Amino acid sequence: MLFFSFFKTLVDQEVVVQLKNDIELKGTLQSVDQFLNLKLDNISCTDQEKYPHLVSVRNIFIRGSTVRYVYLNKNMVDTNLLQDATRREAMSERK
Amino acid sequence: MSFFGFDASGAQGPQRARGGRQQHQQRQQQQQHSQQPLDFDDTYKGYGEYAPEEEDFLNDETFGNDVEVGNNFDFGHGAAAAAPAASAAPGASAGASAAPPQQHRSYVAAAAGGVHPAAPVDSAADLKPMESLWNPAAAQAAPPAQPQGRVLSLEEVERQQRQMQQMPPQQMPPQQMPPQGYAMVPQGYAIPPQGYAIPPQGYAMPPQGYAMPPQGYAMPPQGYAMPPQGYAMPPQGYAMQQMPQQPMQQMPQQPAVPQAPVAQQPVAQAPVAQQPAAQPQLDRSASSLSQNSQSGTPGPAPMGEAELAAPVHQQMPQQMQQQQQMPQQMQQGRQRQRNREPLTPEEQKRLDIRHAKVEKILKHSGLMTPRDKDFITRYQLSQIVTEDPYNEDFYFQVYKIIQRGGVVGESNKGLIARAYLEHSGHRLGGRYKRADIALQRMQSQVEKAVTVAKERPLRKQEKELAQQQEQEGEAASGAAADSRDGVLGRISSSLNSKAPRRQLQIPAANKDALLNSLLVNDEHHARASAAAPDALMEVTESLGNVDLSQKSRVRRRSSYAFSSVDQSSVMSRSGGRKFVLSLIETVYEEVLELEANLRSGKATDVQKLWEALHINDELYEVCPFISMLSFDKGIKIMPRIFNFLEKEQKLQLLQTFFSELSHLNIIIISSYKTNPQPSEAQLKQIDVFQTVFLKIIVSFLSSSSNFIEIMGLLLHLIKNNSVSFISTSKIGLNLITVLISRAALIRQDTNRSNMLSSPEISTWNEIYDKLFTALESKIAAVFPPREYIAKVTEKSAGSAAAPQHYDQAYIWQFLASLALSGKLNHQRIIIDEVRDQIFGTLAEAGQLATAAAGPGPDAADSRYRRDKLYQDLNLFLNVMGLVARDGEISELK
Repeated sequence: MLFFSFFKTLVDQEVVVQLKNDIELKGTLQSVDQFLNLKLDNISCTDQEKYPHLVSVRNIFIRGSTVRYVYLNKNMVDTNLLQDATRREAMSERK
Repeated sequence: MSFFGFDASGAQGPQRARGGRQQHQQRQQQQQHSQQPLDFDDTYKGYGEYAPEEEDFLNDETFGNDVEVGNNFDFGHGAAAAAPAASAAPGASAGASAAPPQQHRSYVAAAAGGVHPAAPVDSAADLKPMESLWNPAAAQAAPPAQPQGRVLSLEEVERQQRQMQQMPPQQMPPQQMPPQGYAMVPQGYAIPPQGYAIPPQGYAMPPQGYAMPPQGYAMPPQGYAMPPQGYAMPPQGYAMQQMPQQPMQQMPQQPAVPQAPVAQQPVAQAPVAQQPAAQPQLDRSASSLSQNSQSGTPGPAPMGEAELAAPVHQQMPQQMQQQQQMPQQMQQGRQRQRNREPLTPEEQKRLDIRHAKVEKILKHSGLMTPRDKDFITRYQLSQIVTEDPYNEDFYFQVYKIIQRGGVVGESNKGLIARAYLEHSGHRLGGRYKRADIALQRMQSQVEKAVTVAKERPLRKQEKELAQQQEQEGEAASGAAADSRDGVLGRISSSLNSKAPRRQLQIPAANKDALLNSLLVNDEHHARASAAAPDALMEVTESLGNVDLSQKSRVRRRSSYAFSSVDQSSVMSRSGGRKFVLSLIETVYEEVLELEANLRSGKATDVQKLWEALHINDELYEVCPFISMLSFDKGIKIMPRIFNFLEKEQKLQLLQTFFSELSHLNIIIISSYKTNPQPSEAQLKQIDVFQTVFLKIIVSFLSSSSNFIEIMGLLLHLIKNNSVSFISTSKIGLNLITVLISRAALIRQDTNRSNMLSSPEISTWNEIYDKLFTALESKIAAVFPPREYIAKVTEKSAGSAAAPQHYDQAYIWQFLASLALSGKLNHQRIIIDEVRDQIFGTLAEAGQLATAAAGPGPDAADSRYRRDKLYQDLNLFLNVMGLVARDGEISELK
C-alpha cells in the first residue's frame, strides 16, 4: 500500500507519465487507486507529432500495469517521510 | 419473471402460439362454449421445419409468442432503428402509428386473470414485445416526426432516468402519469402532429434493448410520475427496503397503467370525442392490422379490439383510468401547440445534436440500479479503506498533516468519501444540490466498506482453516470460501493490492549466526589491543572525579593507540559495516514505534531504543554508536532519538560521543590532515552533521546541562582523544568551542547569581590547563593550509553560483572562547602562536580594501569579504580588549 499511499499525495499535482509503449503524457493527476491506475486531466503528449491521436484527448484513464515511469517534481516528495514509511512497511511485513 | 410481462394463461400454451386476436376470439369461444376440439392446423406454427434448438421453451418469453420463426431480431439499442428515426419525415406518422403493438397484456390483466380464471383474458396481449425488435420495417416507421416533438433537455432526460431507476414502480400513483412522458423517448414517440397522445403501451421505454431491470419496475412511463420528494431519499436504502416488502401480487399492477391502453381507449374516446384522440385509435387499429399482416398472422378486425378491451377494462379500477385520461388530454394540447411552431435549421441542428447526446446517455443508462452501484462502490472502497490508517497509509496521513501545518484535519474516512464523490460526479448532489446528503451517503458507504475490510482477514482465516482441515483429511465444507468470488469477476483478496507480489525475494538472514561470528572476531580484536601501551593512564587517574570503568578505559585507550583514520578499519572495529547498518535500522524501527506510541497516546518505553544504541556496549573496540554516525541516516535520526531519551541517557550518549571523537568518521573527513582533498559528498556530509548533530549538542548543553556535566564532557574529550588532531578538523574545533564557550557562559552567569563552589572552579582550571597543554604549540595548526582552503572553496563553488570563500569564523570563534576562559598567560601564548595568522588576515583585508576601492562588480564582494575578515578577527581580538580596524590593531575603548 506504500505506493498507493504515496501516489495519493500527488493528487492535483502535475506529473509526467511514461507508458510502457513510450508515450509520455503530462497532466494533472486526478486520482489513483490501489492498482495504481491513474486518471489524468488536462493532458498533453510530449511527442505530439508521433502520437497525433492524443492531441484532442483531454483526460485519460491509464491502467496501472501499463505505466513505466511517473516523473515527479522533486518538491512533491518528502523523502524523509518516505523513508520512514518504507521502514514502517517493512516492519509491518515482518510482524 | 418474464421480460415483457408474463402469461397467466400458460395452460393454453399451444394456442398462444397463434397470437393475434383471432386466437383470442377462439379462446373466448372455447371458454364460453365449453370445449371445442382443437384444430391442429390452427395451432401448429411450423416449428418442425426448423432445426430444433435448446431451451426453446424460453422463446416466448424472449421474443413474444406471435412472431414468425426466422425473423431477425435486434437486441441492441437499435441504432438502425434510431438513425432513421431522426430523419423520418413527419409524413410518416401515419405509418408510425403502426409500430406500437397494441395487444400487450398487462400485469394487472394477467394477475386478475389468474385470480379469476373465469374472466375473459386478452390473450392477444400476451407476451408481445415491441414490434421494432424484430420487424425493422415497423421500427423504421415507428419513430414519427421526432424533430417536431417536444425535445427534452439533457437534465430532464437524466432526471427521468433516475426516477425510473429509483422509484419502485408501485410507489407511483397512476394518476400522476405525466404528460411529457412519451416525449422523452429519444426515438421520438413524441406525439405526431395528429396529436394522438395516447401512447401504445410500452412505448415510453426505449424500445430496443433498453436495459430494464428485471423487476419490471423500470417500466419507464411511471418514472416521471415520481413525486419530486422521492429523490431526496437515499436511493439505495429505498430500493432495498421497498422491494422485498412488496407483496408479489402488487407488482403486476404498476405496469398496468401504461400497458392497458386497450382498455383505456374506449373510455378515453368517449369523453374526449371532439379531440383528435379518437383518430389514433383508428390509425392504430389500421396499423395493427397491417402489422399483423406483416408478421404473417391474420389481423383481427378493428371491432374485435374494442370488444376485447371491454372485459379487461372492467377489471381495472374506474378511477384509475379516468385519472389517466386527464394528463393525456393535456398533453395532447400542449404537444399540438408546440408542434405548430416551425423550427429553424439551426434549432434543428441543435436538436439533432442534443438528441445524439441523449441517445448516448440513454444507451447504457439504467444498466445498473443505484443499489448495484453502491454495492460495487463499497467493494472498491473496501479495498482502499483501512482500520489503521497510520500504519497502512502512513505516508499519506503524515504528509497531509505536515502539509496542513500539523493540524489534523478531516478524518480519514471523510477524506475517502469526499474523494470518491469527486470521482463519481455526484458531488453536486444531483437535482436538488444536496451535496451534504451525497457526502453523508458516501461516508456511510465508507463505514460499511470498513466493516467489509474488517471482515476480510477473518474470511481469509476461515479459508485457510478450511484448507487445513481438508489437508488433514477431514471433510471440510467449502462453504467457508468467499461466496462473493466470481460475482464481480475475481475479487482480489487484500493480498494483491496491499502486498503486491515481489520481484525479489530475500530470505530472512540468520541474524544470530551473523552476530555470533562478529562477536568472535571482536573478542580477538580486544585481546590484541589490550596489550597496547597506556600512555595517558596517569593523567586520567589524576582526575579522580571522572569515573570510567577500568575495562572501558582499557578498551578506549587501546583503540586510540591504534588510531587509524581509515574509516573501514574503524567500522570493522565496531562490528563491521553490515552490523552498523543493521543497528541503524533497528534504531529507526524503535524510534518509529515510539513515535507511533506517542501519537496514539500510549506510554513510551525507551529501554529498547537505548539498547539498540549500544552506548554502553563494551564488546566493541569502537562504540557502534560512533560508527552509526558515519552514515547520514545515522546522523539524521539523532534529533528524533533525543526526543525520547532521558536526560541521563543523553548525557551518557554525549560522553561516549566525546570520548571517541577521534574515531568519528566526520572528524576524520573534516580534518585537513587526514583528508586533504575532501570530495563534494564529504563536504555535504560535514554540512549535514553540523546542521543536525551539532545543533542537538548545543541545544542540550544550553538547555539542560550544568557546569559539572560540561566539564565532564570536556574531560572525556581531552582524556581519550588527541586534541591536537581533533582541532585540525572543522567539526572537532566546533565541538570544543561549543563546550568551552558554554562553560565560560555558565561561569560568567554564576558569577552574579550563585557562585560556583571552589572545587568546581579548581577542577575547571585543571581541565582547562590540560586542554591548553594539549593544544600548546599546535594552536596555529587549527588553521588549515592554503591548499586545503583552495580545494574546499573550489568544491563548494562548484555547487553554488556565487563565488565562495572559506569561512574562517569558526576558527576565530574557537580562539576567542579559548582566550576567554584562559588567564592572561594563556592569551599571550595564543596570540604568540597565531600572530602570523592575525597579520596575514590583516594583510588580506588590506588587499581587499584596495580592491573594494576600485570600480567593478568585484568591489562589493571585496568590501564584504574585508568586513567579514575584520569581523571574524575581532571576535578573537575583542576578548583581549583589542580591535582590528583599517589594517591596524588598537585597544578596544
